[in-house]
Amino acid sequence: MPFNRKPQKFNAAIKTVELGSGDKKVTLGGESIFPFYAFDGEITNGPKVGVEISDMGLENEVPGVKAYYEGASTMGEIAKKASEMEGADFVCLRLEGGDPNGADKPVEELVAIAKEVADAVDLPLVVEGCKNVEKDAELLAKVAEALQGKNVLLLSAKEENYKAIGAAAGLAYDQKVGAESAVDINLAKQLNVVTTQLGVKPESIVMNVGSAAVGYGYEYVVSTLDRIKAAALSQDDKMLQMPIITPVASETWNVKEAMAEEEEAPEWGSREERGISMEIQTAAASLAAGSDAVILKHPQSVATISKMIQALV
Amino acid sequence: MAKFVTIGERIHCISPVIREAFATRNPEPILKRAKEQLDAGATYLDVNIGPAENDGEDLMKWAVKLLQENFDNVPLALDTANRKAIEAGISVYNRSKGKPIVNSADAGGRIENIDLAAANDAIVIALCSAEGIAADNDERMMHCQTMLERGLEHGMDAADLWFDPLFLVVKGMQDKQMQVLEAIKMFSDMGLNSTGGLSNNSNGMPKAIRPIMDSALVAMAMMQGLTSAIVNPCDLRLMETIKSCDVFKGNTLYADSYLEL
Repeated sequence: MPFNRKPQKFNAAIKTVELGSGDKKVTLGGESIFPFYAFDGEITNGPKVGVEISDMGLENEVPGVKAYYEGASTMGEIAKKASEMEGADFVCLRLEGGDPNGADKPVEELVAIAKEVADAVDLPLVVEGCKNVEKDAELLAKVAEALQGKNVLLLSAKEENYKAIGAAAGLAYDQKVGAESAVDINLAKQLNVVTTQLGVKPESIVMNVGSAAVGYGYEYVVSTLDRIKAAALSQDDKMLQMPIITPVASETWNVKEAMAEEEEAPEWGSREERGISMEIQTAAASLAAGSDAVILKHPQSVATISKMIQALV
Repeated sequence: MAKFVTIGERIHCISPVIREAFATRNPEPILKRAKEQLDAGATYLDVNIGPAENDGEDLMKWAVKLLQENFDNVPLALDTANRKAIEAGISVYNRSKGKPIVNSADAGGRIENIDLAAANDAIVIALCSAEGIAADNDERMMHCQTMLERGLEHGMDAADLWFDPLFLVVKGMQDKQMQVLEAIKMFSDMGLNSTGGLSNNSNGMPKAIRPIMDSALVAMAMMQGLTSAIVNPCDLRLMETIKSCDVFKGNTLYADSYLEL
């Protein structure tokens, strides 16, 4: 009997969310197949790769990152270089200097940086806060206001501050809202429910369902991504059909495999190579499990993951 | 597993308001009942036009177009003994939100409704009875087998036959209730879909009791593998029970607001 291949068809699709404007805008989502299952149907848009930069500049970066940005001194120049990186689809500005337990930069200063970056790049922009829920509620709302018309994605609205960020980004200033939960599938869904109940259109929401570096409880991330995609497509769960973005660099460059200098752990070899390896492995696994976009830092990681996507799409 | 499918039963010509609306082609009462049921969470709406011997074809076309145009191509169950009326309804039916359901066939005089569903790529409710209520589950399963084979012979996908064990009224047939539930388990073990007029169990009971009985039965029936029911979706207790059972069965993913979805 000849083998009769039966494609797995779903009467459901991930919603499409557009970021940016003009020629360089990108579309996340749209798929009605499991990740890279090109044999079941068309891969509508394909996953996207973002390049992370920070308001804290380049001081703490590994030599390969510093070398790439050589000659860039202002945030505008750094952003421009990031947008020119091979494989980059969008730029992600992390305003980590806003953290009250860190540099505690004032909101106005950070908003000015966001404007400088937005004006310097023509790729779509994602703006990430400082992870402090009170500060982010104010900061991301102000960034949403200052960048009107740029159609940026703000990361992220959490359970504690989704009202402030959702109302500013999604309702008042027509930006895109990132809904963040920490590897908790029920909360991921709930956050989408309450954010839409606030009046934010489902097509304006992108989920960040949490991440971890490979080896650091990453199995939970994969099972969360898997179960979300399965519920979205096979159960047509409208409250889980938002595309998923996964910040990878901010996780992987902070674990000991990527931090320990070669002198501390000579048997591990080059620190930079380890960091790149962690970043690439985590990103590849996240994409294979259902992320529609990943955020990376090292030029080699961005080029590699982008090449992987092109080969599979 | 897919979410439990609720078929709203409130557009029924047994209601004087609806019968009158059908006769005079008055959209208002029909649209009102449709909206109530959809707002309450119904997936399909049943459209019972009665025997409709005279103008059934015209009436069913009118009702299908009316409901689908007003409610984003809501999927419908076409419910009448008039076969030509069902075909007429399907001829104007938009299937973007789901196949039409032929309500219903049985293993006796109405077995040709299976052929009708097959010819029109529709779902059919297959009532496991022939002449009168099945005496026991041997008979029920024999009817089930007969109708399943008929559907498959005509090229249907087994998933498009939704087997109805025939829910029985507690007041009078209390001793048969577990049989019905066992039949559902047998359908489920065969991988078949099932449905039925679940609220029949509480016929003749005080109004305040019915939602309690219906909710208890739907929970037990879902445990047995029931995949759909023809119900009054405006019964809040019943709908809350169905949504909760869907969570326990893994048919929907839990979120704190699950009752609002």
